[in-house]
Amino acid sequence: MFDTYIGLEIHIQLITDTKIFCSCRNSFGDPPNTNICPVCMGYPGVLPVLNKEAVRKSYIMCRALNCHLNEKAVFDRKNYFYPDLPKNYQITQFEYPFGINGYFENELDGELKRIRIHEAHLEEDAGKMIHEGLSSYCDYNRTGTPLLEIVTEPDFRTGEEVEAFLQNFRRTVRYLGVCDGNMEEGSMRCDANISINFPGKGLGRKVEIKNLNSSRNVKLALQYEQKRQWKMLKNNEFIIQETRLWDDEKKRTESMRSKEDANDYRYFPEPDLPPYFPDAEFLDSIEKAQVELPVARKNRFISEYTLTPDYAEFLTEERDRADFYESACTNGCDSQSAASWLKGDTAKALNVRKKSINETFLTVERFTELLKLLEEGRINNPTAKKVLEIIIDEDKSAEEVVAENGWEQLDNSEELEAFVDKVLSENGKALEQIKSGDMKPVGFLIGQVMKLSGGKADPKKVKEIITGRI
Amino acid sequence: MSWNTICGSRENADKYRAYIGEWENRIHSMLEYRVEHCEQGENRISGSLLSGMPFAAKDNIAVRDFKLTCGSRMLENLVSPYDATAVKRLKEAGCIPVAKTNMDEFGMGSSTDNSALLVTNNPWDTDRVTGGSSGGSAAAVAAGLVPFALGSDTGGSVRQPASFCGVYGLKPTYGAVSRFGLVSYASSLDVIGIMSRDISIIENVFNAVKGQDLNDQTSIEYRDSDSLSLAEKPVFSVLKNPEGLSLEVDEAYRNAAALLREKGYEVREIELPVLDYVVPAYYTIATAEASANLARYNGVRYGYRSSKGETPSELMKKTRDEGFGDEVKLRILLGTYVLRSGFQDRYYVKAQKIRTRIMNELDDVFRTSDLIMLPSFPVPAFRHGDESMSQYQQKVADKFTVTANLAGIPALSFPAGNYNSLPVGLQFFAPRYGEKMLLDAARIFENDYPVMNPQGFKTAEEIIG
Repeated sequence: MFDTYIGLEIHIQLITDTKIFCSCRNSFGDPPNTNICPVCMGYPGVLPVLNKEAVRKSYIMCRALNCHLNEKAVFDRKNYFYPDLPKNYQITQFEYPFGINGYFENELDGELKRIRIHEAHLEEDAGKMIHEGLSSYCDYNRTGTPLLEIVTEPDFRTGEEVEAFLQNFRRTVRYLGVCDGNMEEGSMRCDANISINFPGKGLGRKVEIKNLNSSRNVKLALQYEQKRQWKMLKNNEFIIQETRLWDDEKKRTESMRSKEDANDYRYFPEPDLPPYFPDAEFLDSIEKAQVELPVARKNRFISEYTLTPDYAEFLTEERDRADFYESACTNGCDSQSAASWLKGDTAKALNVRKKSINETFLTVERFTELLKLLEEGRINNPTAKKVLEIIIDEDKSAEEVVAENGWEQLDNSEELEAFVDKVLSENGKALEQIKSGDMKPVGFLIGQVMKLSGGKADPKKVKEIITGRI
Repeated sequence: MSWNTICGSRENADKYRAYIGEWENRIHSMLEYRVEHCEQGENRISGSLLSGMPFAAKDNIAVRDFKLTCGSRMLENLVSPYDATAVKRLKEAGCIPVAKTNMDEFGMGSSTDNSALLVTNNPWDTDRVTGGSSGGSAAAVAAGLVPFALGSDTGGSVRQPASFCGVYGLKPTYGAVSRFGLVSYASSLDVIGIMSRDISIIENVFNAVKGQDLNDQTSIEYRDSDSLSLAEKPVFSVLKNPEGLSLEVDEAYRNAAALLREKGYEVREIELPVLDYVVPAYYTIATAEASANLARYNGVRYGYRSSKGETPSELMKKTRDEGFGDEVKLRILLGTYVLRSGFQDRYYVKAQKIRTRIMNELDDVFRTSDLIMLPSFPVPAFRHGDESMSQYQQKVADKFTVTANLAGIPALSFPAGNYNSLPVGLQFFAPRYGEKMLLDAARIFENDYPVMNPQGFKTAEEIIG
């Protein structure tokens, strides 16, 4: 066996109105070259002006990663030529990034493990180059999107661990509101470094894997690479330090460039931007912007609300969902039924609508009211589902919906018994079947009564009456 | 000041155009001039001394709808879509841009002969250079084509040509004038400067353009209360043994010091050992920054594009090979060299240490004297061509000017008399925020060393008269 060391470089696009150094809109998916100006196009004579919101969100993230926040942060120029990089240097942070020496509590299968964060630094994103036939096109909309790069220490041992980390990490950036965490659209990107060595020998030669656009692909690529390198070591082959690309179709990594063609980036301090000194007031505001992170919240949900890990994981996946759940509980909902209604029918309904809970008319108050109606037996389960659909789409309370539609359950036994009598008299065959000991048709009969009552009967009571008659 | 009235009528504008045309046939200081902007005389701002005044800007300073060539083939056809902050502020004060002036390519040179587009001659002797890199601005001002011109000073590019052409040239405190719209050569040294035959115009222009700009995070707030003023009896420092000066400059330097003493000022003799290191430090830092600043010119988005590139990377290589001149390529290579990983300590980091040392050494001098007087350049205007002064000699000769850029302090070159029919300039250094001190010190010499007129010079009155 061999030891495996995996480290990650994660880029997250920060959510800001404008780009990092100019006032162009920071938005995804617009027609090519519509969000550009002389500054992000690198026209002669223009200068960068640092976006304060990008700085704030960077610090929020650095703090959440338990980083030491440098007293002085410095921007640097990273020099390399590529047509999608207008200035042919990238403004980034090299020697003095915003945050260093942090950690992230990762969890896989209920086990917590601390992943060390080497650093987190702010930089500008490049544009995109599109090759079509013999032509190449540049789209500079993405140029200047604020990007926070987070570098972990090589603390992972398996691809599964990394996959879980990326999912937890994605939740974290969404909780903090710093990034939408969309790996398919590239707002969160991940490169992985993997090195394998004989046990106890420390880090081996590093192979970097790029082109990983989902946490699943990161896992697959690492598993593939781990196997490939194991085989090589077993056969006494030399592992080259290189960059490899993940081929999603062939499900394998392929060599892109070796260390010999590596760039010398010639870093030096960016003379157009003064060093950044966070002051006490600013740091205080960063402290105030911190929230309980998903992994911690999930574990608290398990113990505080006695939820299964499955439920807790679902509820804490998105911050607004977890907030909703907690408010509902404080508002008097039963923690179990609130959890099951949120994970079941509410989630289903939201999925169909492709909306998050905060984007609908469903409020904690209305949700609580719905569960209360159910608990008090004023409506039955199927009715509750119908009411839920309506209070998601319309600005109405559950009470209102029930009243408007006359959906309140019949608690008048006489009326119910009349329904039962009618059904029994019309279904003599079924009745005989039951009497001869075959209980199957009971459900059918209940259904008939429900139908007759327009769904307002309480199925439990109906069953009682039917079995009583027999 | 009839410069305020030269604009405003068709008739005056025609005379003005004719005067510029006459001179331009001889000196070629301008890459573009558009006097028609002058005709309407609109944009008058009451109460502004600068209102209605035409001006020229070096062709690395953005003026909307004017070219922005930087004296390079690379940007030969580029028209600026925006105004530099300094230009915008001048327009707001009522000034009218009429010309873009020639320069050494991207500000790299001391003669303006490194322009890829035009050869500019010295108004005093057309066989000679104007100095550089703001040579076009200096020549235009000296010939009376504009009352003032903007230049840029990275290592002396305003002061040296000012001295060659016999006019005043102010290099402000680093950050005092926004660099937004100034095409970067060496960002930590670049500053927009002002050239004029008139100290008061420089003062007014400086006050109009100075101060913080949200588009330039290295710009500084410059309130009136920040401005240092000259003591009633200021103390001057001069070099004890200035080395490498031509006879003319040496004589001018000694004469000026003697004159100060005559006028009753205390003149102290000092040594500045760091002067021996400033040139290598300057060329290390400036070229390092330039190698990154000039990387954006690759033919992809604007400017010159080679027709020979088959792949994106070949396109960039060919474009840069064909679009840049030799001096620019040399400096890009130098800068790339000094920034290589593993070599930074030997060059770039060391240069920054020297830079700190310069600041300390000058601070020490300013503790006991108000101003330092130095030559602007070791020689007066030299002849065109490499024989009179090689590119290497020109770099060595930058030592008196680059010092102020490395220290970030303001400096002013002033005319100190003509020797053998050529102007010689000297300069003052002041502490940061000392622009007013510099201008007032220059006024001490104003009557002794009046600005001289090259042959064919006319005042604004004479032009429209």
